Amino acid sequence: MSPSGQPFPEDRDVVESVVRVIDVDGDVVWLEPEQTSACGSCHASAACGAKPGSARLVARRFTLPNDHDFQVGERIVVGVAEQSVRRAALTAYGIPLATMLVSGVTVQKMGGGDLGAAVATLGGLALGIGIVHLQSSRLSKRVEYTPHYLRRASGIDAACGLDRS
Amino acid sequence: MQDIILLIVGAALVNNVILARFLGLCSFMGVTTRVDTALGMGAACTFVITISSIGDWAIERWLLEPYGLGYLRTVAFILIIASAVQLNEALFRRYSPTLFKLLGIYLPLITTNCAVLGVCLLLVEGRYGFMDSVVFAFASSVGYSLVMVLFAGLRERVALNDVPRLFAGPPIGFITASLLALAFMGFSGMGAK
Repeated sequence: MSPSGQPFPEDRDVVESVVRVIDVDGDVVWLEPEQTSACGSCHASAACGAKPGSARLVARRFTLPNDHDFQVGERIVVGVAEQSVRRAALTAYGIPLATMLVSGVTVQKMGGGDLGAAVATLGGLALGIGIVHLQSSRLSKRVEYTPHYLRRASGIDAACGLDRS
Repeated sequence: MQDIILLIVGAALVNNVILARFLGLCSFMGVTTRVDTALGMGAACTFVITISSIGDWAIERWLLEPYGLGYLRTVAFILIIASAVQLNEALFRRYSPTLFKLLGIYLPLITTNCAVLGVCLLLVEGRYGFMDSVVFAFASSVGYSLVMVLFAGLRERVALNDVPRLFAGPPIGFITASLLALAFMGFSGMGAK
């Protein structure tokens, strides 16, 4: 059960990810996501921000309750409901794109020219981000959008980035 | 409106970024183990490519082309893409912390995706107007997302079958990708731009 008392989804309906314990701060642990095998493994990882501990990964750190006596450096598997990632991505990226394209094409078709269409596109983008902000506040109250602890990472999780295929 | 539809079909299907232009192959093989993450990655790339195309078009039209600075194009575009990614993350961290946290855990970093730079360079070749550039970039990235999701769905099905030991893992993935590419070759007869 989640802290709010709502049931977590069944294991088969969960998308998993490996994260590393960075710090233990009283009742909470700070966690940093690990990159999948497609990223962070080439010689340019230090430059692109995929290197462990880089500023971009630091920005992605998050907390979980320390219910399982986690230690610094430990790797654990967290999960969210299967459809949450899809819905979150479509909300975060789909809405601004839709408002941006509709406003830009509309102004262009009304004879606004390149500059007018550019201004309308940026205006549509701002509007879309505003809508996402409102939507995000609503989603933050739902438990399926919060990652939860599943298990400690095993050798299989480590070797193949959770790829069970 | 017909020209926009032709542009979309041409960019998304006929000249697909992954299967016809062979861009973004890293994420194509690496992030397609599940449909949900593939769709998330596709949506993130669609956003970044479309946003970058705006900056790239402006820089190309108002700076690089008039002053004969074409040799700085790649560097300038990389800078714009990196800025777009950073801006995107900063905005989401500020205005949608819940979504930023969730997507930050499950979606890989995308600055290294060559499909983003590739599409931006294709825009220059096409010499499009502003809205055509944005639509072309959007359609190209929708084509990218479509192939990512299709391939992820196929890999999920392949994972449920008994694959001979020598073909397990990446080999069967490459064979599946080649069959998908053959299927997309059928679109080349449509004659769209």
